[in-house]
Amino acid sequence: MLSRNAEGLYWIGRYLERARHGCRLLSDQLATMEDRPVEEIDQGWRRLYRAVHRTPLGGFLASGGEDEDFMLADAYTMADDLTFEPDNPDSIRNCLAAARENARQVRNILGVRMWSCLNLAYLDVRDVGIETIWNDQPDAFYGRTEDAIRTFSGIAVSSMYRDDGWHFLWLGWFVERTQLLAGLVDAHLAQYPTAAQHSESDWRALLRICEAHVAYRHLHSHSHRPGRMLDFLVADPLLAHSVRHALARVTEALDAISAGRALAVEAGRRAGRMAAAIDHDWPNRDPADDAATRAALQGVRNSCLLLHEDIAATYFRYEIADAP
Amino acid sequence: MKREPAGRQSVADGSGPSAAKRLFADYETRPAYYDEMFTATGVPRAHCLELCEALDGMQPDEIAAMQALAERSFLHQGITFAVYGEEGAQERIIPIDFLPRLLNAADWDVVERGLRQRLNALNLFLADVYGPGRIIADGVIPVDLVRGCPQYRVAMRGLEVPHGVHVALCGTDIVRTNDGFMVLEDNLRVPSGVSYMLANRRALKTSLRNLFRRHHVRGIEHYGQLLRQTLAELAPPGVSDPCIVLLTPGVYNSAFYEHMFLAREMGVELVQGSDLLVHNGFVYMRTTAGLRRVDVIYRRVDDDFIDPLAFRAESQLGTPGLFYAYRLGNVTIANAPGTGVADDKAVYAFVPDMIRYYLSEEPVLANVETHLCREPEELAFTLDNLETLIVKMVGESGGYGMLVGPHATPAERAAYAEQIRKDPANYISQPVLDLSVSPCLAANGAAPRHVDLRPFVLHGSETRLVPGAFCRVALVEGSLVVNSSQGGGGKDLWVLSS
Repeated sequence: MLSRNAEGLYWIGRYLERARHGCRLLSDQLATMEDRPVEEIDQGWRRLYRAVHRTPLGGFLASGGEDEDFMLADAYTMADDLTFEPDNPDSIRNCLAAARENARQVRNILGVRMWSCLNLAYLDVRDVGIETIWNDQPDAFYGRTEDAIRTFSGIAVSSMYRDDGWHFLWLGWFVERTQLLAGLVDAHLAQYPTAAQHSESDWRALLRICEAHVAYRHLHSHSHRPGRMLDFLVADPLLAHSVRHALARVTEALDAISAGRALAVEAGRRAGRMAAAIDHDWPNRDPADDAATRAALQGVRNSCLLLHEDIAATYFRYEIADAP
Repeated sequence: MKREPAGRQSVADGSGPSAAKRLFADYETRPAYYDEMFTATGVPRAHCLELCEALDGMQPDEIAAMQALAERSFLHQGITFAVYGEEGAQERIIPIDFLPRLLNAADWDVVERGLRQRLNALNLFLADVYGPGRIIADGVIPVDLVRGCPQYRVAMRGLEVPHGVHVALCGTDIVRTNDGFMVLEDNLRVPSGVSYMLANRRALKTSLRNLFRRHHVRGIEHYGQLLRQTLAELAPPGVSDPCIVLLTPGVYNSAFYEHMFLAREMGVELVQGSDLLVHNGFVYMRTTAGLRRVDVIYRRVDDDFIDPLAFRAESQLGTPGLFYAYRLGNVTIANAPGTGVADDKAVYAFVPDMIRYYLSEEPVLANVETHLCREPEELAFTLDNLETLIVKMVGESGGYGMLVGPHATPAERAAYAEQIRKDPANYISQPVLDLSVSPCLAANGAAPRHVDLRPFVLHGSETRLVPGAFCRVALVEGSLVVNSSQGGGGKDLWVLSS
C-alpha cells in the first residue's frame, strides 16, 4: 500500500477516536450539570481539561465556585472551547475536519459509503455552533456525532478489504485510544486521589465514559473500590475501552502489517513491551501508591508518542536506504 | 415562435391537481440557432419524439426536485470541483440539468470518425515536430509558431515514445452550429470532465430509469477499463504487467475528485509527486512494504510541474529526476510532456492542414474560422471587428482571459484592444458561433440554452472512445460560455444505438 494512503488511514483512525472520546467526555460532563453540586461540576471540568492536556481560555473558577450562574456561563465557554474552538487543534470540529481532510486524500481506496458517512458527519458539525446546540439538546448533539463515528467504523468493519489499509486504520484508532485512556485515568487520579473521600458518582462517571459501567456492575456488583476500577480500565483485556485491550489491537495490527517480512520492527517491539508491562508490572504495584500508578500511566502515554514515531519512520517517511 | 404541444395529449393536460403547467408549454424555438430537440417549426425531431412526450408529461417541479436531489448527492459524495480565485469556493458541484440531450447514431458517427481522424493526425504532428520536422520543412506550418510556442518542450526533441503516442487521451470540445459540427478546441494536455460525464449518467439513469431503458442508450460505463487498457499498452517495452499510477497535484486541485474517481475506476494508486522517487533511472513509489517500481504514469499535473529538475525548479508537485527516467525509456508519462504545442489556440488553425498533410484525407469535423493576430492583416481585421468577435489568448484555457465582443462594453473592448496591440501573437479571434441550443429546466419550465460537448478519446495501440460526452450547458439565458469555471453546468448526452 502507498505509504501516504496508509498514513491517511492511520490519521483518520486517530482523529475519529479523538473526536469520539471528546464527545464522550463532554456528554458525561454536561450530564453532571443536571443534579451535581457546583463544586463537583467544577472538579469534573478540571479532570476533563487535564485529560486533554489543555487549560481553559479563561482559567477555572477561582474558588471551586458557589455561584450557579457563573458556573453555567463557564460551562458554556468550556464546552465551546472543546467542541468548536478554531484554535484548539483537538476540538471535536477540528478533529472531524482533519479526519475528513485525510479521507479526501485517500478517497480512492475508501468506499463511497465510508466517505459519505464521514463527510456528512463533518458537514453536520461544520454548520452548527455552541449557541445552537446549547439551546437545543447538547447531549443529543454529542450523541449524534458519536453515533456517526460509530457508523463509520461499522461500515469499515462490514466493507473494508483486510489489507494494510484496514490495519493502518485500526492501528491509528487504537494507538489513539491507548494514549487517551492512559491520559484520562491519570487525570482522574490527579483529581480524585484514591485515599481521599470522594462521592462514588465521580468514579462511576469514569466507568461510564469508558463504556465500562455495565460490565463492571455485572462483574463486581455495586462494590465501589477505586483500585478495582483502575485494574478494570487498565488491565482487563476483554474491556473494549481498556488500555490493555487497545494495546492488544495495536499489536495485532502491527503483526499483520509486518506479516511475512523478516523485518524486526521497532514499533512492534515497543508495543509488546507496553503490553508486557501491564500484564506483569501493573498487578504488582502498590494500589495505595497513587504516584506510582500515575507514573505507570504516564509511561504508557509517553510510549505512545514514541510508538507513533516508530510507525511513521518505518512505514511513512523512510529514506531509500532504510526501505523495508 | 411558440411551439405546438407535442403529438399526444400529455397527462398534465386538463383540470384537477395535475393541471400544473406542462414542461414545454412556454418553450420557444429560435430559428437563429439549431435546436437539438425541435425542428425550426417547433416539431420534435424524430429521434427526440418519445423523450419529448415523456418529459412534457412530467411536472417541472418533479424534475426540479430530482435535479436538486442529484445535486445534493453530488455534494455528499464530494463530486465537486474548485474554482480558482473565488473565496469560499473551495468545493463546488457542477450543476446538472436533467433534460438529456439526444444524439442519433448518424450524428455520433460523424463525431466519432472526426475525432479518430483528428487525434491520429495530432499524434503524427507531435511525433513529427519533436522528430524530423517534415511539416515545418514542407512549409505547411510556420516554424516560429511551433518552436516559439511556450508549450514546445525542447527537452522532448528526438525522443521516441512508445507506439509514437504523445497524446494518450484527449477531451475535444465540439459544438454544433447551423453549418454542422465543429471542433472548438483540442484539449491535449490534462483534459478533465470525464468523471462528470459518468456521474451525470449515473444520476439520470437512476432517476429516469424507464425512460432511459426505452431509449436504448449506448453505455459509457466502461471508460475506466478502456483507460487502463490504453495506458497498459503504452508501458515501456518489455514490461508485461505494468504498474500504473495516476499522478495528481493533490486535494486542492480543481479536478481532484476526478483524479480520485479515475484511480478508483482503474484500480490504480493515486499518487502525488512526493510519493514517487527516482533511483538509478527508475521511478518508484513509497509503499508500506518498501519501494515499488512504477511503469506508467497517467499524470494530471501540468508539464511545468512534473519535474523540478527538468522544468520549473520551484515546483513542489513533481518528482525530481522523473524526466530523466522518462528519457531513458524506463517509465511512460501520459500524456507526454510538450503536447500543449498541438492544442495551442494558434496552432489549432492548422489542424485541418495537418489532417490533409499526414493522412491525405479531408477533415471530417470542421474548424472554427480563426484569425491569428500575429499576421498584420488579421490583427487589423480583429481590431476593426471586436464587437462581433470572440478573442482568446493562445495559451489560456477554461474560458479564462477571453473577450466576448458582443457582450463586452465599449470600455472593456478598448482596454482589450490595447492588450492585443501590445502582444498580438498572443491572441486569436473567432466569430461568435451560433452554438446549438438544447432544452434545459429553467424557472418556468423548459427553455433553450446553448450547449457543447466534450467526448473523450483514448489512443494506445489503437484509438478508442466511449459513445458519450460531458455535455456542457451555459445555464444563463443567452450566454455562450459553457465552461464550468464560468458558471456552466452539465447534462447527460444520450447516444442512441439506432
